[in-house]
Amino acid sequence: MEGLQYLASGFASALTPANLAFALAGCVLGTLIGVLPGLGPAAGTAILIPLTFTLDATGAIIMLAAIYYGAMYGGTITSVLINVPGEAASVVTCLDGYQMARQGRAGAALGIAAIGSFVGGVFAAAALVMVAPPLARFALSFGPPEFFALMFLGLCLVTGLAGQSLAAALLMTVLGLLLALIGIDPVRGAPRFTFGIPELYDGLGFVPVVMGLFGVAEILLVVEAPFRRLVETKLSGLWPSAEEWKRSGGAIGRGTAIGFFLGLIPGVGAVIPTFMAYILEKRLSKHPERFGTGAIEGVAAPETANNAYANASMIPLLVLGVPSSPTIAILMGAFIINGLTPGPFLFKERPDLVWTVIASFFVGNVILLVLNLPLVGLWARLLRLPYQYLCAGTLLFCIVGAYSLKGTLFDVGVMLVFGIIGYLLRKLGFPLAPAVLALILGPFMEKSLRTSLEMSAGDFGIFVTRPISAALLACAALILAVSALRLAALKSIRGGGS
Amino acid sequence: MKNVLFLLAFSTGLAFAQAFPTKPVQLMVAYPAGGSTDIAARIVAAIAEKDLGQSIVVLNKGGAGGQVGWTEMSRAKPDGYYIGFINLPALNTVILDPDRKAAFSVDAFVPVINQVLDPGIIWVKGDSPYKTLKDLLDAAKKNPSKISAATTGILSDDHLAILMMEEAAPGALFRIVHFDGGAPVMTAVMGGHIECAFDNVGSVFRRIRTGELRALAVMDTQRSPFIPDVPTMKELGYPTVISSSTRGIAVPKGTPQPVVKRLELSLKKAMDDPEHLKKMEEAGLQLRIMVGEEYAKYYRELHTKAAKYTEWARSRPHK
Repeated sequence: MEGLQYLASGFASALTPANLAFALAGCVLGTLIGVLPGLGPAAGTAILIPLTFTLDATGAIIMLAAIYYGAMYGGTITSVLINVPGEAASVVTCLDGYQMARQGRAGAALGIAAIGSFVGGVFAAAALVMVAPPLARFALSFGPPEFFALMFLGLCLVTGLAGQSLAAALLMTVLGLLLALIGIDPVRGAPRFTFGIPELYDGLGFVPVVMGLFGVAEILLVVEAPFRRLVETKLSGLWPSAEEWKRSGGAIGRGTAIGFFLGLIPGVGAVIPTFMAYILEKRLSKHPERFGTGAIEGVAAPETANNAYANASMIPLLVLGVPSSPTIAILMGAFIINGLTPGPFLFKERPDLVWTVIASFFVGNVILLVLNLPLVGLWARLLRLPYQYLCAGTLLFCIVGAYSLKGTLFDVGVMLVFGIIGYLLRKLGFPLAPAVLALILGPFMEKSLRTSLEMSAGDFGIFVTRPISAALLACAALILAVSALRLAALKSIRGGGS
Repeated sequence: MKNVLFLLAFSTGLAFAQAFPTKPVQLMVAYPAGGSTDIAARIVAAIAEKDLGQSIVVLNKGGAGGQVGWTEMSRAKPDGYYIGFINLPALNTVILDPDRKAAFSVDAFVPVINQVLDPGIIWVKGDSPYKTLKDLLDAAKKNPSKISAATTGILSDDHLAILMMEEAAPGALFRIVHFDGGAPVMTAVMGGHIECAFDNVGSVFRRIRTGELRALAVMDTQRSPFIPDVPTMKELGYPTVISSSTRGIAVPKGTPQPVVKRLELSLKKAMDDPEHLKKMEEAGLQLRIMVGEEYAKYYRELHTKAAKYTEWARSRPHK
């Protein structure tokens, strides 16, 4: 229970006025981003990273984590009120949430979503406290070959789980790895793919690239979307009725469990837990026919799962240094910009920082609960802002943010180019998550690969003769094989049907 | 008439020297904020600006092992308002390694004053079977190219130090494994994946004091004040294995002499200041103040020495 001791000092530091203010600012900004249609957590964290540059590492990470949770919750508001999910993880919430709103129960839907999110988030953060220290201790025995195998496994998971086509996902992974090769060779020191442009010597900036792929591309997609009208509904009675409570209790419990466990697996993404939680509730229900017509458990389960997932997905990042989703990859970028490498050594070297951040997860969940319930009306009014102003404003914010990274127009150019690339890739149905994860993991993978080969004097056998590394690589091969078979089966079913 | 001209020339020269500096001076550090070069730069800048009469702004231009910052510095206007830290031998090897395609030569920088000398050190894990340098070298002779040795980067001072060690102890060959900076070296050696590390005193002396690590030798002629119990290479019979990382301030070539002198004056005063001594001691950074010709000579001689080992490093099998 050493975790609890550290957690106590983490709380002391997370509750200082400055860190509390960063968490609060992050929750507000995140909710705002989540409410704005189209802009989800990945876009939100990417766009807002430059805001955190003036802060110290702890403050910056607290704020970004709060933006992440805030955006996850903000997405719910638009799902319920206008049937437009603010982000992908709130898609399921539309099904029953919007129906509840039409029946005048929007308040209860948002209320139960906030409470479920709180329960799921706090439980996942508590589990993080329990499992992280022993896991991190185990990971300390990892050498370069094991880290390479682990990151390789992470990329295989993301590739295998992304989208409908393994080929498309693999293409995106390779694209990300290729982009990661740009810059000075980390071992020999020779410039690669820089075309004599000095700005490329340090590689493509991760932040301008993700700001483009997620922020700018999302804005372009939003511009295309048709305008939706707001349901004119009274937001009274945020507190669910006794009957609604009774129906939601079990759903919140099961949603927590689903979200937590799926959060541990890299590549699952925030959407799958919400669907699984929803389907499970529907199967278990005595009245499955009520789902889709405004069943409160259809809101409680996915919303709980999505926040439990968000908190649990911090575990692979903090313990192993493997990000499990694009948003987490962006958070990892924030660590790296501040000179910190997430992973087991961070627990050892900077326990103060790690535990303050973990404590801030609890603080953030409380802030979201007390902030969002009373402010729902205000957020809803924001939806009436005309799109054109929102889009122009957000784009302007992106440009200023990209410029402020290093004070060069080059980064603005990178962001805009990747905005267009991201827009085209989305239109063509290519998944972006593998590219982003490969981009951030690429340099680490390359370094551990080459260091391993230096250790073995060039013998690739080092990856299979060390047991942990061999086991991880075997898992990776299995995952690729299974997803190839799954997708092939899917294709033959479809092919036979048409 | 001649006198008037002479007087005019003299007085403008004087006026120029007195006029400098009329605006803040930028002090470039070729590494990110928070590193040990940056910490030392901020300590000296805060003290020197009082005497200089203008603020000294530390400018972090990290990237590509210092190459980004030094490229920018070599292109800066030589008017004394853009000065920077040169880290040796990192700067030398960037120039010497043809792969790096450096856009500047060794003459692009004029050394003004050296601040820090962080000696090299060989260390092993606290519970390693190698108790002394002799144990380690005997093992490296018995099993050539089997004992792995970590460096903080290719062609870093640590990499060159391994080659100096191999040269001084014929028959001893290490398997050199390059990492990216001190933190991953720590990780790999503490995790038992690598046997020993060539590193610098400043980054490890605290863990040596706690016993987590065991230092085998300091690569200097005198013992380190931070770990006085550790023998030097000279004492152990290897007087040629002298390696360190030094950090000092230089100006771009072509900076007017009066400006250089003015900077040197303020920087020297600041480095001798008790506050500077105290803060550097707290930061675990060993001072070695070298001024003017002494520093310039050190820069030139080190470049020749680095050239020899860079050549070796590039031709050695299993680099």
